[in-house]
Amino acid sequence: MVKLDQINISNDGLTKFFSPIEAAILRALWSEGEMTTSELTGKTNIPLTSVAGTLDRLVKAGYTTRRTESINGRVRYVYEPVLSEEEAASEITTKILDSLVQAFGPLAVENFSKYSDKK
Amino acid sequence: MNILGEISCYGQCLKSWALFVSLFFVMSIALITASLMLKDPKKRLQTFVFAQATGLFAVAATFYLMNCSEMLSLYLYFAYVAISTILIFGTLRYYDRLMIKRLEAKPAGSILKWTQEFVDKLTSARVYYFDSAVPKAFAAGRSIFISIGLLELLDEDELKAVLAHEAWHIRHNSGMPFLSQLALMAFSSSSEPELEDQADRFAAKIAGNTALYSARNKVDKVFI
Ligand SMILES: [Zn+2]
Repeated sequence: MVKLDQINISNDGLTKFFSPIEAAILRALWSEGEMTTSELTGKTNIPLTSVAGTLDRLVKAGYTTRRTESINGRVRYVYEPVLSEEEAASEITTKILDSLVQAFGPLAVENFSKYSDKK
Repeated sequence: MNILGEISCYGQCLKSWALFVSLFFVMSIALITASLMLKDPKKRLQTFVFAQATGLFAVAATFYLMNCSEMLSLYLYFAYVAISTILIFGTLRYYDRLMIKRLEAKPAGSILKWTQEFVDKLTSARVYYFDSAVPKAFAAGRSIFISIGLLELLDEDELKAVLAHEAWHIRHNSGMPFLSQLALMAFSSSSEPELEDQADRFAAKIAGNTALYSARNKVDKVFI
């Protein structure tokens, strides 16, 4: 039985795997490396009220890490991406392939080898 | 007199009521068990208060309906009062410990030394910070909790206004009778606007109007 309800087809790429705010944060971190919270809100142009909860989630899910810095009596977070953009893309592709194989079984594998032969 | 004899006397005296009364005892024990297993502290306390009420009703019914020996019910009653009192005090004492454990909170004095010293001048309370980017502050028991997100966002004067506001809550709580404290924790889901106004007035007096209003503007409604 094909598990059609598990398949989610879209052309939006990353934004489908991550929420739009998560994707904006990760793109900013991939281009800048380390960033503070205020740098992130500035770069993504998303207000803190929307960014803060998403940052907590990304840290919990293991996509970013953060450390606490205390400089001149001010406390701040510094964020860093855990995976590079390529590593994240590879993880996502693997997950999508897993779900294709889970839903379509041998048919998915067969089509995939046809596809790579064509290439 | 032996306990088994008492229990059979119990059954005889209560007769047709025995089932009814024991139903309430079972319900009370079930509610206490449930309250120990619930994660949310507020729901936990609510269930516990209901368990107390059911238990008390069962004990009162037993007293009222029994005519023979009252020894066992007296023992039961004293045991009940002793255990429930320990549990109530435990819950109140445990409340901020529970928050410290759940938020993995650490003493704020270790990251910003002046915060604990500032609060020490206003009331006796411990200040803790916890790991979250969402700006938030609240008081529980004799502890004040602030998120790192709040520390990032506010300058020193604004933070003083927030700390003074929370310190007022703790001062006010500790002046409240034990039972109304318990009732407030169990039955009010959000803070009373009147209490918030008074806490804000105190904060403005300590840290100044400007600091209070700019803190309120930056983090509208996240410190309660
Ligand atoms: Zn308040």
